[in-house]
Amino acid sequence: MAVMKHEHEGEAAKIGFTGPSRVEKDRFGPIAGVLSFRWVLIAFVLILWFVYYPIIDNFIVSTKNQDIFTGETAFIGLDNYRRLQGDPVFWTAIVNNTLYAVISVVFQVFGAFVLAALIEGLTEERWRRFWRAVYFVPSAISITVTGLLFYFIYQPDIGLLDSALTQIGLAEWSRAWLGEEGTAIYAIIAMSQWQGFGYSTLLFAIAIQKIPRELYDAAIMDGAGTWRRLWNITFPLTREMTGLMVIVTITGAFQVFNEVMVMTGGGPNNSSQVLGTWLYQQGFIENDFGYGAAIATVIFVITLITGFAQLWYTKRRRVDL
Amino acid sequence: MKANTFLSTTSLGSLAVAAFVIGAVASASAADPVVADPSATVEYSGTVSVLTKFGLQQLSPFFVNAAKEYEKLHPDVKVELIQESDDSVKGKTKALVASNSLPDVYFTWTGSWGENFVRGNRAVDLTPVIGPDTEWGKTLATAAVSAFQYNGKLYGIPLYLDAKFMGYNKSLFEKAGVSEPKTFDELLTACATLRKSGVTPVSFGNKEGWPGVHYAGQLLAYNVPQATLEKDFVPATADYADPGYVVSLTQFKKLIDECSDGSGTNGSSYASAIQQFGSGKAAMYYQEIIEFDQATAEGALKREDFGFFKLPAPADAKGDVKSIEGAPEGYMISAASKNIPLAIDFMRFVTSAENGKVLSAPPYGQPSATVGGYSADSMNPAVVGGLKVIADSSYLMPWLDTANPPRVAAAWLSGLQALVGGTMSPEEVMERVKEAAASSK
Repeated sequence: MAVMKHEHEGEAAKIGFTGPSRVEKDRFGPIAGVLSFRWVLIAFVLILWFVYYPIIDNFIVSTKNQDIFTGETAFIGLDNYRRLQGDPVFWTAIVNNTLYAVISVVFQVFGAFVLAALIEGLTEERWRRFWRAVYFVPSAISITVTGLLFYFIYQPDIGLLDSALTQIGLAEWSRAWLGEEGTAIYAIIAMSQWQGFGYSTLLFAIAIQKIPRELYDAAIMDGAGTWRRLWNITFPLTREMTGLMVIVTITGAFQVFNEVMVMTGGGPNNSSQVLGTWLYQQGFIENDFGYGAAIATVIFVITLITGFAQLWYTKRRRVDL
Repeated sequence: MKANTFLSTTSLGSLAVAAFVIGAVASASAADPVVADPSATVEYSGTVSVLTKFGLQQLSPFFVNAAKEYEKLHPDVKVELIQESDDSVKGKTKALVASNSLPDVYFTWTGSWGENFVRGNRAVDLTPVIGPDTEWGKTLATAAVSAFQYNGKLYGIPLYLDAKFMGYNKSLFEKAGVSEPKTFDELLTACATLRKSGVTPVSFGNKEGWPGVHYAGQLLAYNVPQATLEKDFVPATADYADPGYVVSLTQFKKLIDECSDGSGTNGSSYASAIQQFGSGKAAMYYQEIIEFDQATAEGALKREDFGFFKLPAPADAKGDVKSIEGAPEGYMISAASKNIPLAIDFMRFVTSAENGKVLSAPPYGQPSATVGGYSADSMNPAVVGGLKVIADSSYLMPWLDTANPPRVAAAWLSGLQALVGGTMSPEEVMERVKEAAASSK
């Protein structure tokens, strides 16, 4: 398969981030490299102060027992991390976040990829626009409104879902979707897919549009069918976007908070707690900020590992056009 | 997009926000105790910031109007309001405490919630200005002021009284041939009859957890002696071993199963439940006296059709059957306030008899804690009747989720949701509460 390659050399130089110019090298000698760093200094300081310092500070807080009302603190080392091991709700939250991630990757990455390919495969531009808009609309609705909307859909007996099930003769399937420990987290995840699916589809559609049309024409001439073109052209040439979407989706799934707070608040009986809501519960409800900070550190480590794993994967398998 | 840039802005960024808030705790520290000076001169200039619990649309005008009136009287004073709802005020307050930014005046419940501020020297000791012999103290209900007493000192300014009653729809009762139940068993019988008539006997939404805690609290007051309850509210002496606890939870489960939509209620909010009652689809709703006007504000339930009774006590109850669950709610003055006399003066204005009458009457319906702060002529008769029941009660049982330390309160909240959902037995819920109490010592 032919792959076009663009040359990017010189592009970075145009925006001034490649290092000292020849004039600077001549005038300032060995300190020219340091001087060139001045363009990013403010951004570097801001990142240090607002991103990396809080991460370190968060870890320090997690090693202390603090009373926010009295301001008293006591160093307890890694006790909060040991406590995590025996906290059943923490493990429920880990399982729920993992479920969130797996289901979201299936629907919002691979499902959205297939849908985007189908939409971009349509011959008429007006239909492509129409379907892109149709799928994108839920993403434009705020999470609070979506939460309220789905709260009414999931209402026991009078909700849209239970009513629909009753209408089609499946009344025995109807239940309090958000009120039962076995279904609450799945009901929230389903809502999240409904909202996030269109956004992912749109991003994939943009990535697919960048693939040169000639590749498909050549494949058609070679006798490749729809699935063959999808697998051999579209998928490899959108791999970078796919990798990115997997990172976005997994890290998003481990940082989920609003959806759960709006729909169930982590209940019933903590069955729909995720790491974010359990962190909030510990810090702001139970006044245990040290333990909350330990949970925050766990979220950080999980998302960091995910990010690095995906970066490594996409770099290894990168295909440039 | 460069993936590493993305990494720094998502996986690190959101943690940074949480960490920044949590990290701020490290710098939070308590000040020395501050006592109000009754002879201090009030300087009518500057700003008074107030955190209220009147964020709901129908309640928010009260403080807005009071602030406007106060600013009109004192043109150099500006009143800044932060109005939160019942659900959001706890989180907001803790965020403000953690960042040492409590406003001059802030909302508080009684019990362990209020004690937190006293423990941390974040509330002004108001004894010299609000004690029973002081000019201001004489204008307020003594019992309501005493509810904010800690270590023999008075820290709170009660604004209104609150207690829990079973509100009911007289028309639906009449249609089903049911009269006001006098005992717990009669209530269960009434539920069965009402259900046969085609209505939900009791509308109940337990998504938030605390509606269930309110039922349990009243039943605990009936089944567990007052001294035992108060001993168990204190982490150092709590053991939650009295058999009345399990008895209460068994009764609670029976009530929910026979009178409401059962386990499904964990998926409905308390707001949906009050709407169900207000629209005439349910015959009863267990509510606070401060919600009486809200229940009849709009919808099918008319004010003349609204009745109420105290949750009937079970037979052979070992606790205090004359008790009622409820407490005054009020405000504290921040010990870090730059202008304590002005903050106190503003609250004296808010708790005046004139403002009390406004607060007690519709649309607010919050029975004022000020002596002469309500007029039966302008109030909902049900609120007037409820106040008489409160006055006749022998003990005000505090809300379980504010009387207990946060960890124990959380165990009650999640445990009762599990009990309603049928995934835990009363004994298992009490085991969870005991474990939480032990870890809070």
